[in-house]
Amino acid sequence: MKKEEVREETTQLVVFKLGEEEFGVNILQVREIEKLDQGLTRVPKAPHFVEGVINLRGEIIPIVDLRKRFGLTLPPLGLDSRVIIVEVGEEAVGMLVDAVVEVLRVPVSAIESAPSITKGVNSYYLAGVAKIEERLIVLLNLERALSPEEAEELSKAELG
Amino acid sequence: MDTSQYLNVFMDECQEHLQILNQSLLDLEKDPENIDILHAIFRSAHTLKGASATMGFNKMANVTHAMEDVLGLLRKQELQIDPEIINLLFDALDLLEALAKGITEGREEDIEVAGILQRLKKYSQQSEEEVTPADSNDRRKKLQLRYTTEEKENIFKLLESGSFLYHLDIQLKKDCLLKGARAFMILRELESVGTIIRTIPTAKELEDEQFDLEFIIGLCSKEPIEKIVKLVKRVTDVQEVKSESVKAEEILIERRESKPQYVETAAAKIETPDSAEQKKDEPAKKSSSPVHTGPNIYPTVRVDIRKLDTLMNLIAELVINRSQIEQLSSEIRDQRLEETVEHLNRLTIDLRDQVLKTRMVSIDQVFSRFPRLIRDLAKGTQKEVELRLSGVDTELDRTVIDEIGDPLVHIIRNCVDHGIEKPEEREAAGKPRTGVVALDAYQTGNSVIITVADDGKGMDPEKIGASAVEKGFITKDALNDLSDQEKINLIFLPGFSTAKEVSDVSGRGVGMDAVKNKISALGGVVSISSVPGEGTKFTIQLPLTLAIIQTLMIQLGEEVYAIPTSFVDQTISVSRKDIKILRHQEVTLLRGEVIPLLRLQDYLGIQGAKNSDLDELDVVVFKSGEKRVGCVVDSLLRQQDVVIKSLGGFLGDIPGIAGATILGDGRVALILDLRDVA
Repeated sequence: MKKEEVREETTQLVVFKLGEEEFGVNILQVREIEKLDQGLTRVPKAPHFVEGVINLRGEIIPIVDLRKRFGLTLPPLGLDSRVIIVEVGEEAVGMLVDAVVEVLRVPVSAIESAPSITKGVNSYYLAGVAKIEERLIVLLNLERALSPEEAEELSKAELG
Repeated sequence: MDTSQYLNVFMDECQEHLQILNQSLLDLEKDPENIDILHAIFRSAHTLKGASATMGFNKMANVTHAMEDVLGLLRKQELQIDPEIINLLFDALDLLEALAKGITEGREEDIEVAGILQRLKKYSQQSEEEVTPADSNDRRKKLQLRYTTEEKENIFKLLESGSFLYHLDIQLKKDCLLKGARAFMILRELESVGTIIRTIPTAKELEDEQFDLEFIIGLCSKEPIEKIVKLVKRVTDVQEVKSESVKAEEILIERRESKPQYVETAAAKIETPDSAEQKKDEPAKKSSSPVHTGPNIYPTVRVDIRKLDTLMNLIAELVINRSQIEQLSSEIRDQRLEETVEHLNRLTIDLRDQVLKTRMVSIDQVFSRFPRLIRDLAKGTQKEVELRLSGVDTELDRTVIDEIGDPLVHIIRNCVDHGIEKPEEREAAGKPRTGVVALDAYQTGNSVIITVADDGKGMDPEKIGASAVEKGFITKDALNDLSDQEKINLIFLPGFSTAKEVSDVSGRGVGMDAVKNKISALGGVVSISSVPGEGTKFTIQLPLTLAIIQTLMIQLGEEVYAIPTSFVDQTISVSRKDIKILRHQEVTLLRGEVIPLLRLQDYLGIQGAKNSDLDELDVVVFKSGEKRVGCVVDSLLRQQDVVIKSLGGFLGDIPGIAGATILGDGRVALILDLRDVA
């Protein structure tokens, strides 16, 4: 019996916090996690959730404030805040989050599809929720969450 | 066979030969008697045939094969060059270009080739029918060989020493597998008994199997003809040998009777250093464009452009690191370190310049397409147009070269279509019948200027204005405020076209706005100057390279921004008291000219700028056409060469921002593209 359990298909998540809520992204999409200790260059006329760009060893990476992205009203970033550099398609994008919690291995069977609005985030941006014991980790669909076109269309739709 | 990895090499080669074909056909049209040009065309077609067949692009192989058949007949003078054939060959070339494009886009299948194949085959078959019977009656026609003056002198010398001149027409068996090897064996046999004066096709081509089954040899030998024929027939796969003994006088008389022009050509040949004899020994590749080869040809290496891109990126990193070390060194203040850094500095600059140079390609690559374009445009519009090219050696970054062709084609089309008048109109206006389109390219500082000028009727600002009002681009009132120059610039509006009817030639769905956008995307600017009745001139300014640019660093609020100096007209300092308000707009006087001032923070929509509190303002002036606009910044910092980096696909195109660069302290500075403010 035990062996079968081990063989069960699992996936690894990088778990992070926006406010007090826990979110996760697949570790395969995460390139690295950085502290935002260097200067950030603001980009005029960029979408409002783009904080700016940073120089990551010669590569210019846009930084997205996920809280603004999802329209969450939260206190300012604290000392634990981090940038998770993820790869979406060919592009590297930095996600600004309140804290990175851990890397967690979860069985695929624990992942369910997300209800229409989960923790204040539109399910369109979500890949599902992972229920592990008492925790509820919201999984992001990065292709959607980090696509500027989607954001534009969605905000238009909301306005209209 | 998986040939995908060779596709790039094939496409490169393909483009090269298409270009040679294009140029050679144009030359041939002007000089139909020049056999060297015909050889060049034949060789290119043949190479293309082989390469495309190897790659499995059968359509291209079939077309080139059919072309080769016709060219072969022209070369053997069994078919005379006339305008109809030239046009057919041009059409075939167009089709090849379409096929090449189709191959890169993966839709080669959709291109129809049957029409051209039929037309080409009609020629080759027709002439076979015509020539073959005639040939049996008059063998000399087929055995006719052209000799250059040197060759003739050689022949006469040999004849004097007791040799005979023979013409041999050797036919190989149809199922012969190693044509090249057989031909080589025959030539070797013949060389053992005499001197080969000339072969058609050349010995090199024979060896490369660039012939059907038949070839002709002019041979001087002391042996009797029977022995020579026997010698040839001993070689495997020889089907038939026709032979003829030629008298010395015959070479001369024959020539004068049938082809008097040839004597002139032959005489002219003496003066050119590349005699036919030399050419024969050259590798096919080098002699493939006899019209264009300059005196100095150095060995070259074909490099994947991506490798150069990588190299350029590495240099860019090095440049950034260098400025970091420079900054550290200025903090540490150690003389030995400073000297080393200075040395490193020079090396980096040299290295960068050299890499930039390797990426440079002469603009001839683009210009060489245009004689053909002008020819077709002139024919299509029934106008007489002459193209004048200058500055063809001017070099530009490969990336720019690749992109600048289309906008130029569009401008040239515009010149011929809308600028140059019909010959009768021109004569009525007291101009020469033939219109001129002149292309020029030259380098100034870090830019290359390309001008396209025509001597046509010029642009009429009023007509353009009226048309713009009619199409709803601008109100009548707004139009009245515009200068003539600004009215002319209206043609750059999206969707604008002054053509009364959409002609076949221009107006293929792209307007002048596309031209402007393309040039802007390359970091360049385009402007028009036009004098009614005298012509129109388009001036395009392009950066030498896209990778490294010279910028002016400015401070605004917390941030440092870089502005490409090529866009900056000048920088000025303006006192607060010299700023006036005119129609709710801050303005100032610059040497008698009123220029509007724009606070850069307002344009960019950013907070924290300090210039509203300053008494002395630093202003960067931009110029577009005759119009100047000043941008107020917090302070001017310095001039600096920077490496352009993309902001990436996530941020996409943000208006006013051309990219970003990394400063010596590791921070990112945005590169502003403020051309649109003026």
